[in-house]
Amino acid sequence: MGQIWEGFEEALRLLFSGDAEVYQIALRSLWVSTLALTIAAVIGVPLGAALAQIRFWGRGGVVSLVNTGMGVPPVVVGLFVGLLLARNGPFGDLRLLYSNQAMVIAQLVIALPIVVGLSMAAIQHLDEGLRMQIVALGAGRLRTFWLLLREARITLMAALMVAYGALLSEVGAVQVVGGNIRGQTQVLTTGIVERMRSGQQATAIALGIILMLLVLGVLGGMTIIQQRSRRT
Amino acid sequence: MTTSGNTAATGRAGQAPVLAASEIRVVRAGSAIVAVDRFELPERTTHVLLGPNGAGKSTFLRVLNGLERATGRIWFDGREIASGRDRRALRRATAAVFQRSHLLATSVRANVEMGLRARGVRGEEAHARALRAMELVGVEHLAERGRDKLSGGEAQRVSVARALAIEPRVLFMDEPMASLDPPTRRSLLADLRSVIADLSIAVVWVTHDRDEAVAVADAVTFLSGGQVRQTGPAGDVFQRPRTTEIAHFLGLELYIDGEVVLDRGEARLVLADGTSIVCGEAEPGPSVGCLYPEDVVLFRQPPEEGSTSLRNIRKGTVTSIETLGRVRQVTVACGVLTLVATVTQAAVAELKLEVGSPVFAGFKASALHVLPRPPRRT
Repeated sequence: MGQIWEGFEEALRLLFSGDAEVYQIALRSLWVSTLALTIAAVIGVPLGAALAQIRFWGRGGVVSLVNTGMGVPPVVVGLFVGLLLARNGPFGDLRLLYSNQAMVIAQLVIALPIVVGLSMAAIQHLDEGLRMQIVALGAGRLRTFWLLLREARITLMAALMVAYGALLSEVGAVQVVGGNIRGQTQVLTTGIVERMRSGQQATAIALGIILMLLVLGVLGGMTIIQQRSRRT
Repeated sequence: MTTSGNTAATGRAGQAPVLAASEIRVVRAGSAIVAVDRFELPERTTHVLLGPNGAGKSTFLRVLNGLERATGRIWFDGREIASGRDRRALRRATAAVFQRSHLLATSVRANVEMGLRARGVRGEEAHARALRAMELVGVEHLAERGRDKLSGGEAQRVSVARALAIEPRVLFMDEPMASLDPPTRRSLLADLRSVIADLSIAVVWVTHDRDEAVAVADAVTFLSGGQVRQTGPAGDVFQRPRTTEIAHFLGLELYIDGEVVLDRGEARLVLADGTSIVCGEAEPGPSVGCLYPEDVVLFRQPPEEGSTSLRNIRKGTVTSIETLGRVRQVTVACGVLTLVATVTQAAVAELKLEVGSPVFAGFKASALHVLPRPPRRT
């Protein structure tokens, strides 16, 4: 028990003294996940919305693929991305394995099915009559699309929050493709794993607290934006 | 509202209809859900598409509005709608109000401006036009309100304002009253009638409600099973339904089997017991006479000769009194003839009507709508 308490004391000291390494790790986590989420949102939301509205041959297959993709364990994603980026793999020449870019790519692969799948559900959940009404009022394709996205904004925001939370707390993929290299590719989750293994429990606890605060802060902030958008 | 002397369904001489269609077919799963050979909508006319649920009315409206594709030809302002671009142009020149208001999650004002924005109208002009449209249907005081803070009737008014804001050449109304409660429906219906008359726009109005149709229609097309069963000026359709199906739908509850004979220039419907009823106009032959229950009048004593214009008066016995909303429906057995009359509660009390009471039931010759008897199903 005393050991845990000491750990907490040390953790708070590290947090408030502005320990450079701890903050560097936290920033890297935030940066990698935010970039992956942003790219996933830019590609995934329109893709999900399109999938919800456009009927084409093989759509059922694509939808199943997306929905299955939401459940693939991050470590498996890491494994495949790692194989693709490995020296002798098809993209080995890019020399991306064990880099921050590799972690962004892996997290993008994790986030994309979540964003596409939940965006599709959000748009499909809207009344079909609403789309007809918008079209009947003379809106073109792009405007219709934009108005529907705006109409589903609360659900879309929830989709992004789910994805963001998954990325920030994910450990398997960043471990495999990032390599958990101190000072280079170590993020909060992999940092905790390493510190625990090497007996630096205080630092592990400090990183854990930061991770919790980060997830709470980011998702809390998004929740505020989401709920504020209701009142218009 | 003009209900007579208007040849809406056939088009006024020399005036091109604003919207016309021919040989329209919509086929789903192998069966034609809409098969309309000819439709014309002159300017300043409200044409009601009337019929039971599943008659293809709404589908036909969506075809006319360019929302749904069909085989056949459509002309708007004399130009044929041939391509997807033409259909878009048709949608941009018209507006639609559906059963549900389908407002976006934003303010009333932004909703009303939506159609204008889609047409590139912005800023001051959009504000002014939206305000005018909101004033037309009396929702200007709700301008800054959010969608979630509107009642059903208010939301539907906003939906109408949104449609009127674009000053459409044709207004499409698809069961616009169907989700509203009766008082809300009555007040909106009254307002819409005056707005449509003031703006003198052409309207295609889909409904399955006879009273709503009576209130707004210049012309009526009765659809069932995707087919046009009768079309013409509203008065003609309501007064002279062509089939028992239409008559039944219009509320002509009562069916009297008989044979029409001409007796000294007067048509009479001869019943099974040899007695006869004086009809207005009718062709000789096996026929069905029908009556609106509100056209049947009840008396406690037989009215004196010459005191009434009712040509048909029969003595009978009350067999049932049913409550039907605010009125009572009284069934009277008069030999082979069973008559149904709709009367007020006050009249039931005044006439001291109860089951078993003797009573006299009468109706005008012109109130009897005589149709050729449909072939019997075996």
